[in-house]
Order: sequence, then C-alpha cells, then structure tokens
Amino acid sequence: MKRTTEQPAIEVTDLRKVYHKRGSMPVEALKGISFTVRRGEIFGLLGPNGAGKTTAIKILTTLLRPTSGSARILDRDVVQHPLEARRAMCAVMQDNAVEMFLSVQNNFRVYGRFHGMSGADISRQSSRVTEIFGLQDVLNMKGSELSGGQKRRVQVAKTFLVDKPVVFLDEATTGMDSFNKRETLEAIKHEASRGRTIVLTTHILEEAEELCDSLAIVNHGRIIASGSTQEVKSSSLRLITVTLTFNRVTSGVLRKLERLKPHKIAHTEDTIDVQVRSESVAMDVLNSVRSMRGFRHFEVAAASLEDVFMDIVDRQERAGDT
Amino acid sequence: MKGLFPVLYRDYVMRTTSPLWLFFDLVVPVMYLLMFGVGFNSALGLGIELEGRSLSYNEFFLAGVISMACFGLAMNQSYGFFVDRDSGIFYETLTYPITRGEFLLGKIIFQCILAVIQTALSLAAAAWILGVNIPSSSLVYLGVGILIVTSGWFFTFASLAFLMRRTDTFNTVINVAYFVLMFVSSMFYPIDRLPSAFRVLSYANPVTWHTDVFRWALTGVGSTESALVQAAAFFIFSLIAFRVALWALSRAVE
Repeated sequence: MKRTTEQPAIEVTDLRKVYHKRGSMPVEALKGISFTVRRGEIFGLLGPNGAGKTTAIKILTTLLRPTSGSARILDRDVVQHPLEARRAMCAVMQDNAVEMFLSVQNNFRVYGRFHGMSGADISRQSSRVTEIFGLQDVLNMKGSELSGGQKRRVQVAKTFLVDKPVVFLDEATTGMDSFNKRETLEAIKHEASRGRTIVLTTHILEEAEELCDSLAIVNHGRIIASGSTQEVKSSSLRLITVTLTFNRVTSGVLRKLERLKPHKIAHTEDTIDVQVRSESVAMDVLNSVRSMRGFRHFEVAAASLEDVFMDIVDRQERAGDT
Repeated sequence: MKGLFPVLYRDYVMRTTSPLWLFFDLVVPVMYLLMFGVGFNSALGLGIELEGRSLSYNEFFLAGVISMACFGLAMNQSYGFFVDRDSGIFYETLTYPITRGEFLLGKIIFQCILAVIQTALSLAAAAWILGVNIPSSSLVYLGVGILIVTSGWFFTFASLAFLMRRTDTFNTVINVAYFVLMFVSSMFYPIDRLPSAFRVLSYANPVTWHTDVFRWALTGVGSTESALVQAAAFFIFSLIAFRVALWALSRAVE
C-alpha cells in the first residue's frame, strides 16, 4: 500500500541552466522546466540522451547551480540551503560510484557514516539491503572487482541503506542483467511503499511504465508532456494498438489495412500490429479483417509508454523543423 | 563540523585496508632520509658549509625530508581525488549531507595527521639512528609549519586534480611537478653554489621557502628575518592556492 500525500516533496519552478564553455557557444541545457513531485510518489524524468535529465538531477542534488529558477526539496531551497536539502535526500548518479579500493561491506560503512548513522544502525541496515539486493556473495569483494551491474546494485543498495525521504536514481538499472534488474525494480517499489519519494531518470520506458506514478518527458531542455503515467499516455492522441493474428499474413490484408490510414503498421509472418489514433478506427480495423479467411484472433491494447514517448518526441521534432 | 568525521573515517578506512598505501604514506620520506642521507653522508663523506655553519649532510637533509613528507602527501591525495572523480565517487560525495568546506577541511586534517606522523618518524630516525641533534625549541615551528605546508600543497595539487580531465595529462604534469619542484629547490642541496639560472628558479620555488624555514628551525642556519619572509611568502602562496582550489572545485562539477 503506497503512502502518497498531496504535499509536495519537490517543487521545480522555471529552472534554467546554461553551460558556458570557453571557445564555444553557450549551451542551454534546461529552458525553464517546472514540475512538482508529491510526497511518497515515484516520479520519472524521461527523455532522449542530452535532453537535460541529468542536468536537472544535478541541480536537485546540489551538484550544479541553476542559471535561474528555483528548486525546493521538502521546502528547502537547493541553492539557498544546499546542506539542508542534502540532509533530506540521497542519490545514485550516472557513474558507477563505488569506492574502488574498499569492500562492499566497507562501502556501506563509509556511506552510512556520511549520512550520520551509528555503527549498530549500519550493521542492521547493511544486512537488510544485502538481502533485498542479493549482495551476499559480493559483500567482501572490493569495488574494483565487481562487474558493472554489481557496482550499480551496490550503488542503489547504498541509497536504501539510509532512511532519507527523497531518493534520486539517475539511470539506476544501467548495466544490470534482467534478473538483477527485476530484483532492483522490486526493491525500489518496496522502498516507495514505505513512503519515500523517488525520482528516477531512465531511457528504459518499460521501467518507467512499471514504476512511476507520474512523469515528465523532457526534450531539448523543455518538458513536452507531464502528469500521471496514464495521463501522459492518453495525451498522445490516444494511441491504440490492435494486434491481429492470421494463419499467414498476405499482401491483400496489408493493402486493406493501409486504406484505413493507421498511424503505424508492422507485421511478421502471422501477426500484424496496427497502431491507430481512435477507437472508431480500431473498430474499422477489426471489422475489415474479421470475416477474412485465415484470421485467427485479435488483441486491443493502449499503446505502451514507449510508443507514446516516441510519438511525443517525434511530434515535437517535426514541430521544431517547421 | 560534524561532517568532518565521516571524511576522516573514510580516509582512515581507505588507508587501514591498504597496508601498502599506508606504508607509502608513512615510510617513504624516512627511507629517503636513511638511504639517501646515509649514502651521501657516508659514501661521499659530504659535509655542508652553509652561512658560516658546518652541517653533516643528515642535518642538512632532515629539513628536506620533512618538506618532502608534506609535499608528497599532498601529491598522493591529489591522485586520490583524480581516481575518485574517475570512479564517480567524488561527485556522489558532493551530494552527501556535509558542506564543501567540511569535505576539504576533513581531507586536509587527515593529510596533516599523516604529515605529523611522518615527521615524527623522520625525527626519531634522524635522532636515534643518524645521531642528528633535534632542538626541542624547533618542534613548535615544525608543527605549525607542517600544517601550513601540507595545506598549501594540498590546495595546489587538488586544484590540478579538479581541473584536469585526462589521466595521461594529469600523470605527466604531476610527475614533472614532483621532479622539478623537489630538485630545483634547497631540499637536497644548498642552492647558493648552483648556476645562476638554476638558483633564481630555486628561490622562486615555494618548496625552497618552507625547506629553508624548517632548516632554520632545526639547525639555526639563516636569519630569523629571512625565515619570516619565506614563511610569509608560503602563507600567501597557500591562501592563493586555497582560493584557486575552491574555484576549481566548483568548476569540477560543471
């Protein structure tokens, strides 16, 4: 049972960041983004590479100062009161930040000390996160001996070692195999259920769809869609995917479907995925194939977040071109 | 100031879980003193005439060894910064609930503790093994000097670690700096008999300034006025290095 409240955990208002590099034009990484994250929710910041997600996370975690605008974590301004803001959060940054020369156990000890934990608390919490993240086998290995995925798991485990109300996870599952990824996603859900606010960036949209209560899609430094995951999905002109299965897909079937002007159509030897923008067109698709020879069955589903994401980004790119 | 303790704890765990690192941090200057000093003192029979005083090479070199302790530790720490930045732990540390000031101060305090231990080992080795007389009046000057010199070089090398991006560039700069700053100075030999160009460079080298002050405290060679001027010069150098380090730290995350 999640404990989400209407009170904001994070408030970002008109945040801008311009990078000035000697000998090159200034780069405006964030062009005035605003969003609010409620306490206890999992919020996803999505976008293609270079969209500005990591810059936003760096500002929120007090690593960078914004050019203008404001960001508050549990009512603490990250520029005016960075230490107070840091006291309310912990973060996994994009790098595989583990202490290379220390064992995993000592990584936990050092991290816990930095966050003001006692030795007894560190021992107790280490045991807990070791079990949750399945780190028993690597506990005595040094950071430099771990694989990329193991380093990432240790990094995420560290953030759940400490009991901070706000957690930032920047591409947290990068480099993990699917088994570890599944365990990590479950752990993140478990921690969120304890009332923590979690902000994650990811380019793996299935993860965002599974985890996030709400999200914002960032592209070229602007938010191009935001709201609850369902709201964002439905904002994309109601994409619906109709999957049709035949004994064998023929060119005649494809021609017939093309005439209905679907948003997108893709097929294999026996399956056709037709993406349409309204229920009525979806019905037309079904009506046009249901009496055809070789037609076996159909499935109708709302488009995945990935479809929506691609659609929104694509529309924005086209709008920018014209 | 609560944020200082985790910084100290982290460096303590790093050192105590790596005996080789600890050995390098604590023992290298003593080895220089015993091997280099004994070598020059005995094999070559060198004695040093300096400002009307006659010193054994060991007496002369002890001030250089203490300088080397402070200088070398600061340089090692900058390697640590560079590795931390490469691994990403440096950036993560900056998101921890400590101030930037506590982070830097904690690093300096740890280096100063190591420098004091190194100096104590060097003085003990000099007194008990090499028979060098250590005046007790020098200890206060040495104590204050070690803190300032270690901090000054810490800020200098930390700035390089914060600003440089490439490992090969960093390694080259650090190695050249180590070689040039130590050998174009009064650390290993008196500079007043060197060729003039070499001598000018040596006088402009901050390593010479604090080595001469340590030598004045340990042997009484040189005037008090000259020691004061050199101490003040190094103090100003440290303040400038501190400002540069703060600027470099803010640049490092951009």
